Amino acid sequence: MSANESPTDPAAEQMVEQASATTPESPTEAPSDVSPDIAPTRKTRRRPEHKPPPADDPSPQEVSESKPESPKASNESAVLQGGWGYWGSWGKSLLSTATATVATVGQGISQVIEKAETTLGIPSPEELSAQAPQEENTDGGTAGAEGEAQDDTAMGGALGMLSSLSSVVQSTGKTVITGSLDALEFIGKKTMDVIAEGDPGFKKTKGLMIRPTTLSQVLREAKEREEQQTSEDLSSDVEKKAHYGMLFDEFQGLAHLEALESLSRESEIKVKSVLTSMSGGELAQLKADLEEVSEPFSLMEFEDDDDDTKEDSDGVEFAKELRDAMSRLQLSVTADKLTQARTNIHDRIADVKSATPVSTTEEDEKDEADEMAVPQHTPEDVHALAISSLAELTAKSIELFHKVAQVVLHNASGNAQISTGDQAKVLAQITIMLCKEISLLSKSFTCCLTTVGSNEKGEVLNPLITGVFLEASNSATYIQDAFQLLRTVLQLAHIQRTADFAQ
Amino acid sequence: MAYAYLFKYIIIGDTGVGKSCLLLQFTDKRFQPVHDLTIGVEFGARMITIDGKQIKLQIWDTAGQESFRSITRSYYRGAAGALLVYDITRRDTFNHLTTWLEDARQHSNSNMVIMLIGNKSDLESRREVKKEEGEAFAREHGLVFMETSAKTASNVEEAFINTAKEIYEKIQEGVFDINNEANGIKIGPQHAATNSSLPGSQGAQQAGGGCC
Repeated sequence: MSANESPTDPAAEQMVEQASATTPESPTEAPSDVSPDIAPTRKTRRRPEHKPPPADDPSPQEVSESKPESPKASNESAVLQGGWGYWGSWGKSLLSTATATVATVGQGISQVIEKAETTLGIPSPEELSAQAPQEENTDGGTAGAEGEAQDDTAMGGALGMLSSLSSVVQSTGKTVITGSLDALEFIGKKTMDVIAEGDPGFKKTKGLMIRPTTLSQVLREAKEREEQQTSEDLSSDVEKKAHYGMLFDEFQGLAHLEALESLSRESEIKVKSVLTSMSGGELAQLKADLEEVSEPFSLMEFEDDDDDTKEDSDGVEFAKELRDAMSRLQLSVTADKLTQARTNIHDRIADVKSATPVSTTEEDEKDEADEMAVPQHTPEDVHALAISSLAELTAKSIELFHKVAQVVLHNASGNAQISTGDQAKVLAQITIMLCKEISLLSKSFTCCLTTVGSNEKGEVLNPLITGVFLEASNSATYIQDAFQLLRTVLQLAHIQRTADFAQ
Repeated sequence: MAYAYLFKYIIIGDTGVGKSCLLLQFTDKRFQPVHDLTIGVEFGARMITIDGKQIKLQIWDTAGQESFRSITRSYYRGAAGALLVYDITRRDTFNHLTTWLEDARQHSNSNMVIMLIGNKSDLESRREVKKEEGEAFAREHGLVFMETSAKTASNVEEAFINTAKEIYEKIQEGVFDINNEANGIKIGPQHAATNSSLPGSQGAQQAGGGCC
């Protein structure tokens, strides 16, 4: 994927839109006839005089044209699978344009994307500036209205398409879902309801989509649920120690997350208002810049090169890498709290390990006195420790991101030599480091659990181990979601910096 | 652990007046004379009891530096109480109160309870602002007033707890819509548990918690 195919590239949006909607002006070009190689011609020929209809008035022809084509959708769902690969890296704006695509189901998404791909070129500034106002219209809110207006007619086709999507969504997993949640919402709640009736397999995905959209809400609700449980069950004094959500809150993770969310939200508003105040080449330049800042946020790649098998149980290596990365940010923010937390966790694991007889016979005799002093750890203890450690590390990670956000905004006019885009890249690396550390940690805890609980039955031990892995995976998701919140913050910082240079 | 209500507080005021020290004294019952400058916002939490009810205070301790102002403003929203702090040994921190107050009123909800605090009351010999002046300012602007010392812990508990009492009274009077989290108040699980015998209250409570 090169930069010119990236999410907010106006040309890309334009082309996807054009490609997806067979416009009234070209009724002769039946959607299925349009092969990728025609598309560039369309672009050059049509762009100047073509005034795409505003998105909020979806032409009836469009809909009726697509309708007869709709059975094709199911045939194309096989190709679709390949098409989904693009979604991740194209990010939101592709998805929002996909709303239109879904509405005119006649053409498969894959075809549209192919077309869009081949037609992508770097547009001239004139073209860009001409599109700018149109984009404002087609962006966001109106797309929802569009979906609403069209979903009745497009339903037949959408049903086939979306049911195949749903299985893909489920298997592609959380990353795609979280990234595309917003965009999928555009398809319209109404559509969802109808689809879910005819497609039970979709229900799961739907459940994910109608859940609260902000991360802190999800976590807060989890915490509240746990609090509810514990307050109803006051006797279980020990058990409440293992409630992730409550612990996360106790480590001030929730507070930092909420604060980060509000910074992110306000930054987004400010960025948008700056964009609306601009026009012409200036706007095009800024959009390109912001795109560059956003890029590291959509290209999150976890190399599965299994180098996480490396031994770094004491977290020294992690601390060093993190410190290096933080210094590259040039933000005078340190990760000391986080690395300290990591060290403490390591110490606690070591404590558990030392209190657990590794091999029985001889050591039992030798260390008998010691073992009397050191209380034996139960698997429940280790589980509670694991959950609390994960909650702590996640909370500290989010605190770190929140600090970064504050200092980035505060120092926007500062003397950092590093560009905002490069800062974003470093932050993406940090996110990966943190997630890897979480995964590493979960492994050492489950290791510990297996050792400590070697005498326990599987039905006692397995849920505990699963619990640790589950919360570790959740932790990684929260960290990645928090990282995403930094995107608008860095964009705003970039704008502030540019403005300061100009003065 | 379980609480009936959660109140969100913010602590605001010029840099160096002792905001972070007040928080530390309240949450950890200790005093730290040398303190790093607060970056943006820090958090603290403590449970208190009012009228036999457990109340959790979630405190947002903001940076006092002017340059952080635009960031910290975004944190004002959704606070039920504010501690507006000045330093009785520095007249300028008292003079800036009007600006702080305007800022707070503008960026938060109108029912927010504001407690005016003249901190460092242990430094009587270096006092620049008379207690009467603080009282007069508070009266004029409808604030609660108190002089505290984060160092000796004098009045620190009272400052936080009296603010909570004020908020609690407003809830009883129905001034605060407790189902609107923008007011900085959340209903805790304890509250829900005691009410769960009443049919319907549970549902209403959940609906309240679910909205944002």
